[in-house]
Amino acid sequence: MSLKSLDPRVTRLNLPEGETPAIEPKPELDQFETYEAFHQKKEGAAHTYVGPVHAPNEDVAFLFAKEQYSRRFACVGLWIARTEHIQVTPYVGDGENVYEMMRVVEEPTERSEEAEAYEIFHLKKRGKAHTHAGRVMATSYQEALQEARNQFGEKGPIVNVWVVKSKHVLQSAEEDKDMWTTIPEKKYREAIAYKVMDKITKYKEEHKTTAL
Amino acid sequence: MYGGGNVFEATKFDDLQTEDPAKLAEFEARIARGEKIEPNDWMPQLYRKQLIRMIEQHAHSEIIGALPEGTWITRAPGFRRKMAQMAKVQDEVGHAQLLYSAAETLGKTREQMLTDLINGKSKYSNVFNYPAFTWADSNIISWLIDAGAIVNQMANAKGSYGPYSRALERICAEEAFHLKYGHDAVVHMATGTPKQREMIQAALNRWWPPIMTFFGPSDKMSTHTETLMRWKVKMASNDECRQQFLDMYVPKIWELGLTVPDPNLKKNMETGQWEFTEPDWDEFKRVINGDGPCNAERLAVRRTAEERGAWVRRALLNPKAKYVKPLA
Repeated sequence: MSLKSLDPRVTRLNLPEGETPAIEPKPELDQFETYEAFHQKKEGAAHTYVGPVHAPNEDVAFLFAKEQYSRRFACVGLWIARTEHIQVTPYVGDGENVYEMMRVVEEPTERSEEAEAYEIFHLKKRGKAHTHAGRVMATSYQEALQEARNQFGEKGPIVNVWVVKSKHVLQSAEEDKDMWTTIPEKKYREAIAYKVMDKITKYKEEHKTTAL
Repeated sequence: MYGGGNVFEATKFDDLQTEDPAKLAEFEARIARGEKIEPNDWMPQLYRKQLIRMIEQHAHSEIIGALPEGTWITRAPGFRRKMAQMAKVQDEVGHAQLLYSAAETLGKTREQMLTDLINGKSKYSNVFNYPAFTWADSNIISWLIDAGAIVNQMANAKGSYGPYSRALERICAEEAFHLKYGHDAVVHMATGTPKQREMIQAALNRWWPPIMTFFGPSDKMSTHTETLMRWKVKMASNDECRQQFLDMYVPKIWELGLTVPDPNLKKNMETGQWEFTEPDWDEFKRVINGDGPCNAERLAVRRTAEERGAWVRRALLNPKAKYVKPLA
């Protein structure tokens, strides 16, 4: 016997009915590794963390993140970085500044011959999203953090910092800007497109229904 | 959309005696100050365990909840409704992605969660074990199940765990469209031809009992529940959510001249509370434990999708990939 559904397409799958043996635990990385996505809400705004995606490579991660995080919200730019490539400082409490807590600077385990670019992201308050603070040149993550502290670490509370090499960030290109344009015919997926009050008022007038 | 009805069972981690008292005090003080907890913070085992369970169930509910509505995309009347229904279903699946990642930051991998869903080890909202017989059923789901979900999610968004709050903020923004879309669809049917009215009333009659169980049974007030409320894991009692839902939506049902299939449903003006026939909690338990009209089908469909996609995922897998849990 196969499974009968109200949906003929499900019925046509000929799925076995009744008890089925448990599936084997999914293998490691069946769902791929993770990438972190940062979007730019409007022209000139800093890139802000929106969330992770699972993907087999950077390009697919970009596509998934575009679909997941820009489909429904204004977006004019997107950055993607592999989670593994992002270095994270400890978190401090709201109102504190993590740069001031970092008294001891660790010796870098790896140092590049020449200075290269690093992107710095700050979290201003717990529960909010990391925002791009700027770019620094350094020969290691530790040095980048020091540079970031000198350049952007003075102002206000910063509860956490993310550091990632610029070469590890896939950035949407300036000449591809038109990919962010939403065509106006997609209003059907906006709450504002649904105006029911006229219908309800008309119905109530004709039928004298009351809410309570 | 989200199945509430979380039953917070006591676990062996209830015993906070085993936790480091200084760390526990610091953790509790942080929450009391209104600060959010972030993934790498120290947290009690009970906190981690209950949040994983709650966020995971929420994620499963999104993905399984997309099935009864997804099946109506091709049969939705008219092109515009097909597009809108498709956009809604895509949103729900997207919500699952956000939520799986939030749960992952607590240490359970997406692979484990998907395995547990298919093997019936973790739950999803019980309402999705009921069938959507007609287009009108799909409309009632879009409107009232999503309405219930929003009540739940708005409360949970104020919870203490950072990644869950961030995910819920995005989710709530999208749900605003679902609610309006669902309401519009129901109003269209209710103010339409006698046949359309009859269809929407019949669907409402079918869905009312599951809707009344949506927020779960009354909470047993235990020290366990109190702890979870103090930690801002559980933000409102099941009864509070149910009352809020009734307050907001029963008037909207009645103004359309539709009836609710419960003769005892009324608002007690003295207490300000809704009175209703107690839902059939025995049936709720039976269905949530596997014996509902659609449990087998929902899991079989999910399982098939996983199995049929496995070779694609294997082919795409980068052999050098290394698992790192998402950052936030």
